[in-house]
Amino acid sequence: MLQTLEQFAEACNTNARLRQMNRDWSRTIAILPTDRPEVFWLTSKEGFIQAGQGPVNAADLQIRADHDIIVAVFSGTLSPTEPYNAGDLLVKGSQDDLMRLDIITLLIWGE
Amino acid sequence: MATRQVLPLRTAVSTSAGLASAAINFLACVEVAEYAGGSSAWIALLVAGGLIVFSASNFAELSGLYPSAAAIRVWTRKGLNDRLSLIISLVYASTVVFVIAADAFVLAQAFHAAVPAVPGWLWIVVLLGTIAWANLRGIRVSGKIQDINGAVLLMTLIVISLIILGKTSWPDPSQFFHIGGGTFQAIALGVFIYVGFEWVTPLAEEFDDARAISRGMYIALGLIAVAFGLFTMALTAIFPHIKALESTMVPQLIVGQKALGIVGFWWMVLITMTTAMTTFNGGLFTASRFVYALAREKALPRRMAHLNKHWVPANALLLLAGLSLILALGVMATGQYTVLINAGAGVEGLVYALSAWLVFSLRKREASRPRPFRALGVPWIALGVGAVFLLLGFGALLTTTAGGIPAALIFVLILTAVMTGYVWFVVPRLKSVKSSNSAVKAEPEETIK
Repeated sequence: MLQTLEQFAEACNTNARLRQMNRDWSRTIAILPTDRPEVFWLTSKEGFIQAGQGPVNAADLQIRADHDIIVAVFSGTLSPTEPYNAGDLLVKGSQDDLMRLDIITLLIWGE
Repeated sequence: MATRQVLPLRTAVSTSAGLASAAINFLACVEVAEYAGGSSAWIALLVAGGLIVFSASNFAELSGLYPSAAAIRVWTRKGLNDRLSLIISLVYASTVVFVIAADAFVLAQAFHAAVPAVPGWLWIVVLLGTIAWANLRGIRVSGKIQDINGAVLLMTLIVISLIILGKTSWPDPSQFFHIGGGTFQAIALGVFIYVGFEWVTPLAEEFDDARAISRGMYIALGLIAVAFGLFTMALTAIFPHIKALESTMVPQLIVGQKALGIVGFWWMVLITMTTAMTTFNGGLFTASRFVYALAREKALPRRMAHLNKHWVPANALLLLAGLSLILALGVMATGQYTVLINAGAGVEGLVYALSAWLVFSLRKREASRPRPFRALGVPWIALGVGAVFLLLGFGALLTTTAGGIPAALIFVLILTAVMTGYVWFVVPRLKSVKSSNSAVKAEPEETIK
């Protein structure tokens, strides 16, 4: 999981257009696999994304889903909309942030 | 773990009450009073409200079970199947267009009464166009403004109605308890007064406390029942022979004028405008994101997922605003606004019935999943109330227009047939199309320089 998130972060950071798009989007995203005890996170600051493992004090966005779904979404093999509209991926936070995350995955991997 | 940005209970109340309190409710109150036979209209509103409480508890359980902006799409997909879910979601989302169109019509009537030199259709074009433009620019009516607007509307209705009830001689007490032949239709249309209270559920992700949605809906329902119940009583006090109101399209302006003279008249014009514009704004915002999400899962053409430089799904928003405008102008030309009320009440009645079934079904299918809130009276009372909503929904749809035609039923049947054909024949083709480099086309234009 951590490796997938790190690769996702790298894909974002090596994309100049994405960095420009996210330059004013500073957020902490907690990623909580529902079938595993581990907790992961992504942060966005000044256009750069970082990934890590461990608890987060105050997340702007929480993402909950099975481990396999999270890996599929962040590795680009599954559009986040599909599990989201099926109720298999739950989010807590602002809808604007959710839409931003959706667009980031769209920009990296397409549909 | 806490999330940084959370919405308060107050916003759950104001969103639920605000989306239910559409300007078309003023005309719906007249219709309820007509069918109920006058002063006893409050009984229809009370019974409808009592039934709605059960429905609200169903939505609260479903929202707690799957807190998602995709709301009914998720619940029906889990409780039924994907195709049915898509058909139901599309028809249900269409009620947003009905309500926006109906409110545009009411708004045009109010403004035309206030400024007769300007034709009503022009008001519709200008005001709907203004809200669509503001939405396209990413300008959102803030939560606080929505909170204030909802509170001012409900307080205005309560105060103005109480002034009228204090001024007017009351009818014979027996008339307050009269049950006539049109009571069933009055209850069915009474449901329409509360329609939209559940549209707060797509915001479930933004509340930290999962119980805020259920509490917000219950408080909102109470406020709506009191405010619009008093308004209907004030109407029947001014017009003991309710048929006299049939010819007016601006009952709220009459009530305002009777209570506070010219100040009351203009105050109600202002209230009508803010109410309708809040409905336009909330409706277009929510529905355009829903269309965007469907386009992202390839259930709608992908151009509906296009975002403009303000991160707004522009094509989806323009489509919805355009459909609302066409429908509103159609209603303006024909005067058949009751078709929209009956269609809206009918579809919502059926969705409320469905909510009871979904709770029942998901209690079996997802028995172990945590539920922050459990619906009232499951299974038998909840299913019984669901059956009543089924009857009320069909009752509203079967209500005939002047020519004896069940226009609402025909309208909803055609809409459902179109959606079914679309889901069966077009969606599979959309899903099978391999996209080229869609990322470039889907990115917010001009955001990335």
